[in-house]
Amino acid sequence: MKVRIKNWTGVATWKWVANDDNCGICRMPFDGCCPDCKLPGDDCPLVWGQCSHCFHMHCIVKWLQSQPVNQQCPMCRQGWKFNNK
Amino acid sequence: MNDYQIAWNLMKKVFPILDDSFTFGQATDDGSLLKNEFYQCVESSKTLNSGRIVQDLLVSKIEQRLRNEMVPEFWSYFKRSENDNKGFKQFYNAVKSLYDCFKQLDHVITKLDMFKQATQLGDLIYNENNTHDALKLILKATLLSQLNLEYQVVVMNFYETALKMEDTEEDDGQCIICLQESKHCNCLHLFQETNRKLGDMSLLEPLVGQTLTNLIYTYIHAHIQKICKDSFDSSFIVILEKWLQTVVINWLRKIYCYDTSSSNNEVVVGMFDKKLTNYLYNCYTKIRIDQLFNIIIEYPESLPALEDLRLCLPRTELKPLLTKKLQKAMETRLLHPGVSTPDVLTAYVAAIRSLRILDPTGLLLETVTQPVHQYLRSREDTVRCVVSSLTEEGPNDLAEELIRGEIVQVDENTPVDEDGENWETWVPDPIDTSPSKSSAYRRTSDIISMLVNVYGSKELFVNEYRTLLADRLLTQYSCDTEKEIRYLELLKLRFGDSQLHYCEVMLKDIADSKRINQHIKQDPEYSESDIPMSAMIVSAQFWPPFKEEKLELHARLVTQMEGYTSAFETLKGSRTLCWKNHLGVVDLEIELADRTLNLSVSPVQATIMMHFQDKNVWELQELSKLMQCPPTVLRRKIGFWQSHGILVETKPDVFCIQEDLENKDNNIQEDIFVEDYESESAMASAQDQREEELQTFWSYIVGMLMNLDTLPLERIHQMLKMFAFQGPTIECNLQELKVFLDRKVREHQLIYSNGYYKLPK
Ligand SMILES: [Zn+2]
Ligand SMILES: [Zn+2]
Ligand SMILES: [Zn+2]
Repeated sequence: MKVRIKNWTGVATWKWVANDDNCGICRMPFDGCCPDCKLPGDDCPLVWGQCSHCFHMHCIVKWLQSQPVNQQCPMCRQGWKFNNK
Repeated sequence: MNDYQIAWNLMKKVFPILDDSFTFGQATDDGSLLKNEFYQCVESSKTLNSGRIVQDLLVSKIEQRLRNEMVPEFWSYFKRSENDNKGFKQFYNAVKSLYDCFKQLDHVITKLDMFKQATQLGDLIYNENNTHDALKLILKATLLSQLNLEYQVVVMNFYETALKMEDTEEDDGQCIICLQESKHCNCLHLFQETNRKLGDMSLLEPLVGQTLTNLIYTYIHAHIQKICKDSFDSSFIVILEKWLQTVVINWLRKIYCYDTSSSNNEVVVGMFDKKLTNYLYNCYTKIRIDQLFNIIIEYPESLPALEDLRLCLPRTELKPLLTKKLQKAMETRLLHPGVSTPDVLTAYVAAIRSLRILDPTGLLLETVTQPVHQYLRSREDTVRCVVSSLTEEGPNDLAEELIRGEIVQVDENTPVDEDGENWETWVPDPIDTSPSKSSAYRRTSDIISMLVNVYGSKELFVNEYRTLLADRLLTQYSCDTEKEIRYLELLKLRFGDSQLHYCEVMLKDIADSKRINQHIKQDPEYSESDIPMSAMIVSAQFWPPFKEEKLELHARLVTQMEGYTSAFETLKGSRTLCWKNHLGVVDLEIELADRTLNLSVSPVQATIMMHFQDKNVWELQELSKLMQCPPTVLRRKIGFWQSHGILVETKPDVFCIQEDLENKDNNIQEDIFVEDYESESAMASAQDQREEELQTFWSYIVGMLMNLDTLPLERIHQMLKMFAFQGPTIECNLQELKVFLDRKVREHQLIYSNGYYKLPK
């Protein structure tokens, strides 16, 4: 017997590779989206800080905007710096 | 001979009936010949003052003759006969013989009148001013006192035959009574002669009236039944009214023109007309009411029948009957386990549409569909059926309603001032309206909203839609996403954006997956050794929960998947894939010694084949361990390949490839494309999800039972309603709660006895 697979369509869920499931700011799952967005993934990406904490990009940007001075990571209170890995 | 003797002999000469030897049929005496005797009689009566005695004697003799001869003879004609048409002749002869004798008696009365005038006798007979009327009165009374059992049958026969003669449209040249050729037939004449004689004797109404009325009622009923049996696609009301006038009323006119009891015959016919028209409407309406269920099922072809019914209802006051009968019909023909849910839904939609026509106020609809709602609520697959028929291919009622509903909603958005411009056409609600609901509410409610209201929850509805959509997207990869998007837009108009947002993401996932697949296939880093691979990459948060099943794929595929995953990771930074091994679709080509098969199967089935390619014979246990699939499940999956003749169980729990079919019956064709018909839902069922929701009430129930020890079902439900069903949590009905509690009993978490639940000690 010879079995030829002409096509295999698998099903997979995608997920962010992060050390937490939920965004520390909005408490929503990373694999969902921030409260301002409707579509997850490309449209509501995650960003990492140099402290290694990560958030929805839209959430941390909003947070930083609300802190004109002393921009800190809301989790560890270290100064916030984007990690452009 | 004394004076009395002479007077008596004279009397007998003038009034032969006084003589016991008198027989009917004797030539009537010539009045002129006896003129002398008559005056002698008058004279002697005057002298003897015996006028009153003569009159009494005469009346008594007439009564005697009637009682003993005429009437018995008349009734002797009435014998039941095998031949229906014989009644015609029987009745004709009976009336003829009665009439001949009557004429002779009438002649006696005429002479008595003269006698009374001459003797100035003013005494009335039976208080009748007219002696002839007195005779008719005696005749009628005597006839009725000796009524014959067969009389109605024969009379009915007589008129029925005549009416049939009147109502036959095509003249086949032969009379149905005498069986002679029409031109020689005298029957119509005999018919009219009989009526004239009856009229003369004032017997038409007393003898014939009731039977005639019955006959006509039966006749009308049969006629309506005949012409509108199973025929709902044309209107009959005008045709029927015309028929009533031209055939029945005209015929009655021909009979009643001889009626002497009423001064104006048109008045009698007019009364008949009113009565019969009324009956016609009643009868037609009742027949239509009896057919209403079928009429509804055949909507819209049955529109003419519905229109008829709508016109008839206000004239007949049969609306309560309609409501009752339709409810009953729905119950016996629709609301039982033998009818599939899609059929119930189809009938339900047809009922809504039909009843809107019958009663635009919507009240009837509300009353009749109430039990249907309750019933649909009790069926597990209702939501699923509604949703799937909403999105089904091809023309279907619910999908039409979805599009229609869109328009309705647009209308609703433009404010309509109900008391404003349309006040002239305003119609009050019927008196049996329940005041709780405004008529506006009923008028605007459309079918989809009504169906959704059956569940009281849009959410449940939308959830079911989501599950079905997920299933379709995952199992039919070829699914027409554009069409799905179109439907989604329609559903959004009705259910709102927020509820359906999840579905939007799902559809976007599928579109994105196609793009990602293309991308990855062009990636030079990614290579497809021998398994062309594609993926449906879904956003877990937005899809309904997947059914979890363990499956270890074949190593060759695992490698391939790993390759795909890393290509994805490169493409989408910081993201990775979690494969649902058991989900997906695999297209296979299987080449055996004597045949080649092309199939679309599930990953489990494909994996089985891949293993059998490596090794011809497998023990169930061994394969089960390798694939991480329980033996019972695996056996079922192998069954699929057995049914295709590819695997055979050579020893218990040992399976082997069947390279050629040689001796096997050759019913398996080459190159067949078989869908994996075992395609189950990839989603956790709505039932599973519901159980989970109910589970949230469990702690409440335990709390209740700890405090109150034992509780009946209803009480638990009531308390949950009070404490637990608040806010946005979905309610649960009594039935659902019972199923849930009963499961807990089976799981020994509850004890049930004498209708009470309690916790185990
Ligand atoms: Zn966030
Ligand atoms: Zn966002
Ligand atoms: Zn931090």
